[in-house]
Amino acid sequence: MANTGTAEHTAQERSMAHLKHYFVSSDQQFDAAKLGMWLFLITEILLFSGMFVAYAVYRVWYPEVFAIASTELNPWLGGLNTVVLLASSLTVALAIHAAQTDKRRALVINLFITVLLAGVFMVVKYFEYTHKFHLGIFPGGNFAYAEMNQPIVPIFFSIYYVMTGIHGVHVLVGMGVLSWLGVRAIRGDFHSGYYTPVELSGLYWHLVDIIWIFLFPLLYLI
Amino acid sequence: MKGHHITPRKTLLKVFAVLVALTALTALTAQIDIGALNIPLALAIAGTKALLVVLFFMALKYDKPVNALFFALGILFVVVFLTFTLFDTAFRGDLGNVGKEAILNTEGTGQDE
Repeated sequence: MANTGTAEHTAQERSMAHLKHYFVSSDQQFDAAKLGMWLFLITEILLFSGMFVAYAVYRVWYPEVFAIASTELNPWLGGLNTVVLLASSLTVALAIHAAQTDKRRALVINLFITVLLAGVFMVVKYFEYTHKFHLGIFPGGNFAYAEMNQPIVPIFFSIYYVMTGIHGVHVLVGMGVLSWLGVRAIRGDFHSGYYTPVELSGLYWHLVDIIWIFLFPLLYLI
Repeated sequence: MKGHHITPRKTLLKVFAVLVALTALTALTAQIDIGALNIPLALAIAGTKALLVVLFFMALKYDKPVNALFFALGILFVVVFLTFTLFDTAFRGDLGNVGKEAILNTEGTGQDE
């Protein structure tokens, strides 16, 4: 941005446009929003913890069934998706760095690379799901995979579908939010004085990454 | 906002490299059968990765302590949820062959209506 007198003046006005009248300062508003986001993330963690507990209960009861059933999952695809999500976490962190240092171009690019990587994750997930459907591995009572007719095996896949499915929904939501942020970044809504939505969405995205960090070894690498 | 910590790009890239290396490590160690130690090892690696993401990508290391406190409380309740559930389910023994008659014929409990 040009550093002429008028440009600086308008930049200053614009930099305060986001401040709500009931906050003393931008910093106070930012801290309040961030604490609120952490509270929301805790509810997300507790949502997923219910599924992790179900997983733990059944794995303790039937360890050998989990070992057999998990061989049906492709660890290479799971590993690929792990690296893809880790990379998307990096690009979100780089996007926040760009916002903090007023690099609008880098902000936009990093946000859209993140959306792209999330898309790659969902495409891999799509191929994994359709492959299983093709074999007759459906959740719950619709399980029809003749080669694994041991009891309890369908429960493993029900847990797999619910955990990866709800995680996948979070990835889709994240893609929507990050695309919207990308459009807003192009519009010039964010700068070093105001990037709260980028910061908060980044926190959400990292949490989605962390859930997958646990899902990968627990489901694919037994 | 001047007070905000800006994590250097170099740090972010290093953390990413470590995260990918740990992913490779967990995939490798899963191939080696070390019996009961496989699960704790996999969870330790995943926990380390999660901690790196929380501390550096989510910048909790440089953040206001109140956010870390809230996060820690959330994790505490997850641990309570998990361990107390397993205290029940993991120590029930084999109840698979207990039929209706066996329960009804048991003296004492269940008879005092």
